[in-house]
Amino acid sequence: MIWAVIILSGLLTFAARFIMLSPLAPKSIPDAAARVLRFVPVAVLSAIITPSVFLSGGAAVPLWDAQVIAAAVAAAVALISRSVLITLIAGMATLWSVGYFLG
Amino acid sequence: MTARAAFWRGVLDEAPLLIGVAPFGLVYGVLALASGLSPWQAFALSFILFGGASQIVFAQLWAALAPVFVLAGSVFVLNLRHVLYSAAMAPYFRALPLRWRIVLAYFLTDEAFAISISKFQSQPDMPHKRYYFLGTGLTLWSGWQLSTLGGIWLGDLIPPALNLGFAIPLTFIALVVPVLRGRAELAAAAVAGVVALLGQSLPWNTWIILAAICGIIAGWAVDKTQRGRV
Repeated sequence: MIWAVIILSGLLTFAARFIMLSPLAPKSIPDAAARVLRFVPVAVLSAIITPSVFLSGGAAVPLWDAQVIAAAVAAAVALISRSVLITLIAGMATLWSVGYFLG
Repeated sequence: MTARAAFWRGVLDEAPLLIGVAPFGLVYGVLALASGLSPWQAFALSFILFGGASQIVFAQLWAALAPVFVLAGSVFVLNLRHVLYSAAMAPYFRALPLRWRIVLAYFLTDEAFAISISKFQSQPDMPHKRYYFLGTGLTLWSGWQLSTLGGIWLGDLIPPALNLGFAIPLTFIALVVPVLRGRAELAAAAVAGVVALLGQSLPWNTWIILAAICGIIAGWAVDKTQRGRV
């Protein structure tokens, strides 16, 4: 059962990667579709971010929680540095140090 | 430049990105086992699905006992963005034999795409583009498989108190925040983020799909009104 889901998910993902390289592909994505697809990454990633920052074990965390502060620091660092690695280091360092002092 | 040189150029250009990919893969491996996937299943996802964010969501939804259509539907929505990458690569790869296009499509990840497309755009006449892309794709693939295996093997040794799982939202923050330039992007992010929080109690964990679709519609609508005003 789970293997069927893994393979199905893999096929769907491959289809998204292959579609415009396939023999059936149109020369370019229709404008209307491109205008919608443009927002897929931002929307999807934001939907994953907020629950993992503002919830813990299914319950809301206070705004001064280490997770929230670390995410805010990471967002500021990301804006300035535009580097995944630097953002990751700043965020984890904040999470650990705030957790250490408050926890 | 020979084909071999183009390949190694791609490998070298991609290599620095592995510093960010390695902890991500490690965390995925740990999380996958904690979600109840077997080591083989966790590794198969890296091999067959080969997409970091969607693998993590797959593991989380699997742990939450989400039904099959939610699992596959979430992965599908998450990976829809690859259609854009595929379209951007098409002008360079369209004339290649089908077997090449199949192989290159498999390696079409965020990271390999980002490096290759900027190279191709700055050097449109560069020869052996397929080998360059293969170099970036194969490098990222190897780093992802190895770090996943590392997470699967070493999972027990990493103390839970380190909260290494938080590296995942942090990685996504690093990817999202710099692209929040216009009102439309901000609207998409805000609506998706809020719907994801409000929708937590929805049945079968449909909140990911719902939040993503609401965010996409919000971004599209704001973009459309802005466009109409010009």
